[in-house]
Amino acid sequence: MNKVKTIIEKILKTPVTDHVTICYGRNETQHIRFSNNSVNRENLFKLEEEVKVEVGYEGRTGSYRTNELSEAGIKHAVNQAYEAAKLLPKDPEYMPPVTRKEAAAVKNFKPAFEKVPDGSKYAILRDAFKQLKKAGLNSAGSLSTSPYTTEVYNSSGVRASHSGCTSSFTLTAMTENSSFRDSFISKDFSGYDGKAFISKIIDHTRLSKDPAPLDAGKYTVVLGPSAVEELLLMLLWYNMDAKAIDEGRSALSARRGRRIAHEKIHIYSKPDHPVSLTPFCPEDGMPYIGFDMIRNGRLASPWHSRYYAAKKGVRPTGRFPGSVIFKGTDKPVEKLIAGVENGLYVNSFWYIRLVDLMDGIFTGMTRDGLFRIQDGKLTGSVNNFRFNQSVFDMLLNTTEIGREKGMVFTSIPPITVKEFNFVSKTEF
Amino acid sequence: MNKLREIIKHLEAKKVRFADAREHLFRERSICTEDTRVEAITEENVSGVGVKVLWRNGWGYASTSRTDAASLRKTADKALALARHADKSAAAKVELAAEPKHIARFATKIKEDPFGVSVDDAVGILLRSGETILKGKDIIKASSQLVLRNMKKKYANTEGSLIETDVFTVLPQIEATARANGEVKSRHYWPSPMNAGYEYLRSIDFQANAERIAAQAREHCFAKSCETGPATLILDPEHLSLTMHESVGHPTELDRVLGYEESCAGRSFATLDKLGKFRYGSKIVNLVADNTLEGGLASCGYDDEGVECQKWHIVKDGILSGYGVNRELAHKMKMKRANGTTRATKYSDVPITRMPNLYLAPGKKPLSKEQLIADTDSGIYIEGMGSFSIDQMRLNMQFGGDAFWEIKNGRIRGMLKNVIYNAISYEFWRSCDAIADKTAFRRSGFITCGKGDPMQAAQMTHGASPARFRNIMVRRAK
Repeated sequence: MNKVKTIIEKILKTPVTDHVTICYGRNETQHIRFSNNSVNRENLFKLEEEVKVEVGYEGRTGSYRTNELSEAGIKHAVNQAYEAAKLLPKDPEYMPPVTRKEAAAVKNFKPAFEKVPDGSKYAILRDAFKQLKKAGLNSAGSLSTSPYTTEVYNSSGVRASHSGCTSSFTLTAMTENSSFRDSFISKDFSGYDGKAFISKIIDHTRLSKDPAPLDAGKYTVVLGPSAVEELLLMLLWYNMDAKAIDEGRSALSARRGRRIAHEKIHIYSKPDHPVSLTPFCPEDGMPYIGFDMIRNGRLASPWHSRYYAAKKGVRPTGRFPGSVIFKGTDKPVEKLIAGVENGLYVNSFWYIRLVDLMDGIFTGMTRDGLFRIQDGKLTGSVNNFRFNQSVFDMLLNTTEIGREKGMVFTSIPPITVKEFNFVSKTEF
Repeated sequence: MNKLREIIKHLEAKKVRFADAREHLFRERSICTEDTRVEAITEENVSGVGVKVLWRNGWGYASTSRTDAASLRKTADKALALARHADKSAAAKVELAAEPKHIARFATKIKEDPFGVSVDDAVGILLRSGETILKGKDIIKASSQLVLRNMKKKYANTEGSLIETDVFTVLPQIEATARANGEVKSRHYWPSPMNAGYEYLRSIDFQANAERIAAQAREHCFAKSCETGPATLILDPEHLSLTMHESVGHPTELDRVLGYEESCAGRSFATLDKLGKFRYGSKIVNLVADNTLEGGLASCGYDDEGVECQKWHIVKDGILSGYGVNRELAHKMKMKRANGTTRATKYSDVPITRMPNLYLAPGKKPLSKEQLIADTDSGIYIEGMGSFSIDQMRLNMQFGGDAFWEIKNGRIRGMLKNVIYNAISYEFWRSCDAIADKTAFRRSGFITCGKGDPMQAAQMTHGASPARFRNIMVRRAK
């Protein structure tokens, strides 16, 4: 790395324009995929290093990405970005590079994480396979560790860096006619309790066997953290851009000032949230900030790019936030289930797609664990459903909020929702 | 190629069962416009080498962007080390289907290198489209995207194959968004993405289509809602590309069928016991996989297992007839040879079974789109792609579209809105009762088909003539 840093610093001593930003990224991933209780061919190690260069020229911006990290390679990238910028029409939304003052909040950060030896990772898997086979179950999933470093340099003097590691073990266990999935996500595997993790999966997978037929309709549901995350991120992705809201292209355009969620719901960004594993800044060096997105059931602040924030005279949040936190409570999911007399527990969704933008309606399927709740207890599984559901209605119909679960760049609780709209069932 | 030969020699000396090495040189230029400004222009130039090793019955894969001899040897040794770890949990014997040794080259036929054309030429095409769209009444947004790609690959394996490929891809699209009558509606023009040179981009009439989609986006805002209930649908080739992709292409990838994708992309209802007997569609439905299709997005000469690209039936006369099969799983079907559809997106990705170019064969009897509509008393004509979702076994599917028209007494009436339809995939294909002839055949395709873990985005072409489907459950979206 020092060699690349030296080259970048040398290039930035005499930048081609007063707007040159160079972002260096290094990612070293080991990813072990498995299926049928055995490691399969996606058993890989990859070392990826690259620089992304952005050059501004009289109100235009060009960019170039390469993994040719020699001095000639990085200089070539700078020149290519510069030449591209010169050919473009002037951009009315051009923004100069991030200043040192703007970047001051970036915390150069290098967390401590244990290096997990290769042998230990395969041992975790062999142990899981052994337990699952003993339980008569099949499995598929992946175990992954991915330490990374991101460093941002620009011609305005910004120097920001962040290192981290994301580790995950995602496991789907199967009977001959059902499945259940769970994941363990952390910086490393130091807090991994294999016995508890696998036995929970085995118990739920056994309970999922022989799903009973059930007709589609409106049900009270407890949505697990994964299910909530999947729907919430879709809603935010499509609707939170401030410019789109102002231009009437967002479902939030007509909902400003209106109630869009239950008043207890608080959704916010907090880059240094204890369970969030996201870096502190994106490739331009502008730090992620903490801000409220939905508070007291109403839109608090949409997402503002640097350009649009400057135009509106507000703080930029970034085109996308560094993390999404749905404030939870101390209630475990079991307590939420105990509060439902007759309903369904949804472990996760699958293939969520937008149906109607302006009403916030999404479709998707339940997957890997749809359980019947009767008298406050999980009593067995049912066939999977398709839903067509307004996510605004889901947030408005939320009656209970449980304990948060950290999932890479989110921390999301399970929630209880009335009248969740399942429209058809499938054959399993 | 010498670098790859050295890797293979190094691994042969370590007595591996099989190994291959791939070098990728990937270049991509992407331009996005918003109204009359360039929102983003990025160019990517990334290269590296990936090494795959089979040790006894365990696979290992390692990759690096550092291509000096020492780094490549280290990468090869890492792949071997991972394969040895995998072998310890191997559940079954790995059997690789035979493939002849190939010393070969393949290149997309192009007239004009897209990267030899100044970037402002493409920017001009896109911005002029935007200007035209913005002239439309009630238009609030014009946007466009252009992706130009070149992938150069070298491949070597322990069986002596040495293959070089050079593939160019062009993907353009423009979009108009209108706001009127309390609605916001977008309309797209997606010329089929192609493996082609820049001359393809020059052949497209963006101006006429920009005017058309701007007018249709506005018209969509004033359309009446569809009725909920069973209906006859006539689907255009672009729309059918998405339905066949989701409900035929994915469920007939053999790795999915056998559980290798269970944790991510899912499995399939089209299990091996159904091969040769399961009625997937009506008798007129023929779905053909063809990675030899000229200009097809998956047409690359040889796949990333060194297998020559081929053509075969997935569904023949309505019956499930084939799968996409890699060398490792061919024996499960008693196939002597894989069918050349295993691909990796980047050098750092493990090659996996990917959807081939897949098309619905045109009807054999003369029938134009207009005749097909004239032959339909009542129904809905759908163009383009909209909302799409299907379960992980590829059964319960729900699709929207980009634009919808009511058909009454054999004629197109006004536009409709809020149309989504829902079906079980094989019941959908069984309900197909008419397919227009080859004069109405059009291509479409994708460059962002997600599969694998870590996720890879692959490209493939689809195609169809307009086709009619009876008794499909239509729902009003809201």
